[in-house]
Amino acid sequence: MKENVASTVVFILLLFLNTNLLNGQSPPGKPEIFKCRSPEKETFTCWWKPGADGGLPTSYTLTYHKEGETFTHECPDYKTGGPNSCYFNKKHTSIWTIYIITVNATNQMGSSSSDPRYVDVTYIVEPDPPVNLTLELKQPEDRKPYLWIKWFPPTLVDVRSGWLTLQYEIRLKPEKAAEWETHFAGQQTQFKILSLYPGQKYLVQVHCKPDHGFWSEWSPESSIPIPNDFSMTDATVWIFVAVLSAVICLIMVWAVALKGYSMVTCILPPVPGPKIKGFDTHLLEKGKSEELLSALGCQDFPPTSDCEDLLVEFLEVDDSGDQPLMPAHSKEHPGQGVKPTHSDPDSDSGRGSCDSPSLLSEKCDEPRANPSKFHTPEGLEKAEKPETNVTQPQGPQGTSVEGKIPSFHVSGSQSSTWPLLQPPGLHYSRSSYHSVAVVCKLGLGTAGAAPTLLDKTDTRALKPSQTIETGGEGKAAEHGESESFRSKTDQDAARLLPQDKTPLTSAKPLEYVEIHKVSKDGALALLPKQNENSGRAEKTSTPETSKEYSKVSRVMDSNILVLVQDRRAQNLAPFEEPAKEAPPSLPQNPAAVDLASFPAAPSNCRLQLGALDYLHPTGFMHPFQ
Amino acid sequence: MDNKGSSQKAGSLLLLLLLVSNLLLCKSVASLPICPSGAVNCQVSLRDLFDRAVILSHYIHNLSSEMFNEFDKRYAQGRGFITKAINSCHTSSLSTPEDKEQAQQVHHEVLLSMILGVLRSWNDPLYHLVTEVRGMQEAPDAILSRAIEIEEQNKRLLEGMEKIVGQVHPGVKENEVYSVWSGLPSLQMADEDTRLFAFYNLLHCLRRDSHKIDSYLKLLKCRIIYDSNC
Repeated sequence: MKENVASTVVFILLLFLNTNLLNGQSPPGKPEIFKCRSPEKETFTCWWKPGADGGLPTSYTLTYHKEGETFTHECPDYKTGGPNSCYFNKKHTSIWTIYIITVNATNQMGSSSSDPRYVDVTYIVEPDPPVNLTLELKQPEDRKPYLWIKWFPPTLVDVRSGWLTLQYEIRLKPEKAAEWETHFAGQQTQFKILSLYPGQKYLVQVHCKPDHGFWSEWSPESSIPIPNDFSMTDATVWIFVAVLSAVICLIMVWAVALKGYSMVTCILPPVPGPKIKGFDTHLLEKGKSEELLSALGCQDFPPTSDCEDLLVEFLEVDDSGDQPLMPAHSKEHPGQGVKPTHSDPDSDSGRGSCDSPSLLSEKCDEPRANPSKFHTPEGLEKAEKPETNVTQPQGPQGTSVEGKIPSFHVSGSQSSTWPLLQPPGLHYSRSSYHSVAVVCKLGLGTAGAAPTLLDKTDTRALKPSQTIETGGEGKAAEHGESESFRSKTDQDAARLLPQDKTPLTSAKPLEYVEIHKVSKDGALALLPKQNENSGRAEKTSTPETSKEYSKVSRVMDSNILVLVQDRRAQNLAPFEEPAKEAPPSLPQNPAAVDLASFPAAPSNCRLQLGALDYLHPTGFMHPFQ
Repeated sequence: MDNKGSSQKAGSLLLLLLLVSNLLLCKSVASLPICPSGAVNCQVSLRDLFDRAVILSHYIHNLSSEMFNEFDKRYAQGRGFITKAINSCHTSSLSTPEDKEQAQQVHHEVLLSMILGVLRSWNDPLYHLVTEVRGMQEAPDAILSRAIEIEEQNKRLLEGMEKIVGQVHPGVKENEVYSVWSGLPSLQMADEDTRLFAFYNLLHCLRRDSHKIDSYLKLLKCRIIYDSNC
């Protein structure tokens, strides 16, 4: 039974359904509430979208219920909002409350309901656009012209009570422009536009936004044409500026044109050409070299032979080593020029500086036992007796002397010429050691007074000296003569010694030794300088000139060169003998011995006179007294 | 001699006193521009007080709204929390005007007290909100920072409102009525769904109440200061 009823009902329903389907009718589709909006936070409206109507007239109903309430209400107003809308007026609107709204679609076939929509009016506020948008061009006299835009808030919004606070925004553009220029206006209901393009038509719009709400739609466009003569005052300013700048440019151009060159030279000075002061190019053109060179300030250009005087350094050599003093030498040739003028206590007067206490050192008091310590300075070919140049005794020569004889320093820079006491034509081959250092001159030499004094007092001495001289002169040319001379000198050592103090006559010409050359190993090759004044041709004899002291024996005290004659170069053998003979002869003569002992002392004495280039003969005298 | 010394001493002492007093005065002046509570003759104007209060309330609602949107986007999608967050705010017990007419009919003192009640009701929830958001896994900085800011600003607004009440309605002993919040256990629930809904509900209620306070204050400001002609 029941089964029959159930099946029957189902059958009927299916028939019904089929019938409806055949007709094309169906229940309505599900509607959808798509928007709810409140324009002033006092009312709100919801719109729905109906679904398929199913071919039948469908009615829609909106139902809602509020938060905290249980019963359901239906939409109070379907009309105000338009079709498919529901308008909630102030009475039905509660703020800060959730509305649960549902739309029901019903037709003959059936009905359907939309999904519930939860709506809180607080958050759906979207006002209407502002109204009464007005545009006005203002051109005050003392200010810039501008466009004045004014509007009013939407009518429904209650701003006066503070229920809503609106913020505005305007936008404008020339009619034919593509982009809008937007400006935020805040809460004010007016706005001024200053930058406008004259001669165009402008469009303006405004919209608003409530606090915590959404922006409204843009208001309808308002347009205003901008006249062509808009903002003329700006143009005058620009014209003035342009004219002024043009004037300034003209002035600058004129200034540059007038003084362009001087300005350019000031900025970029020309590169100076080469120029010699005081040099007249015209002289060069004319070819007058003398005037030209005098203008240059050069004297004696090209250099003459006189310049040689400046170029060559001379060593003064005392040739008085011929004196019997020499024989005291053992090894070398007693250099010439030894000098002991000593032995005459009275002869110190006029001797010169050698005797002065300031000059003499204490060491002078020690006579030398070994007379063979002297070394006459180089160049003593001329054994000029009266003139003796004492050289520094060398170390090996006499150890006793060494420590006591200070070394004289001869500065190489001194281009002084060492006048060599030149025995007339005497060939002084004996001197094998020559100290480059001090040359002590007896009387003669630098001091002019000494010689004069000597002349007066030592006439006696002079004689034998002259005798010797002459004797020497005669033999100067020959080697052999030197032997005799030496023997003579040996013999006369005693006599000569005291007479040695005559330094020498000023009449005697000074012989200069010239540094001929400096060899590789430091040997100085010395040559007697040819004295122009000297009338003794013999002096410049070949053997003399050929005599070279080119071998450096050793260096004393790091600044004294002891030169030795190069025996290979010269034939000194014959000379050596007499030298050797000399010493033995000395002892024979007791006076000579004594005297021989002296030479060292005075030589010492002389050597100690470091400051002086020359020694006065008095220096020799002193120790012997 | 004695006179000179004593006069000098007195002068220096006076100078010292002057200096100290100046320092104290400066300090007191520079500290607060607002009148001390209870003072009748206050120097800070009511207009300034209202302006400041409105700024604060507006700011607080902006923060709340952003915080809610952030949370909703991150945690509440597809969970249907809104259906459950109906009539769940703890401040609903406080009877407050629900629309403009009702609000305009309420006397401003009453309205002020209502504002104060709502503000006080949120002290405790805001404090716990900050604590619990910090404890959330992957605590979002956007939410946490705003929560901290809201808590602080809420305290300031409360102070300002009390000052306004002191000026508008001086001498009235006020009943401090506020709603007690009991949603802490929900915030600490182990169940993530329950806990998240608790957060959602709290943020939803905060957004609403901050808007309410802001609206009331703006109404009051226009009514009291501008005589309803803002």
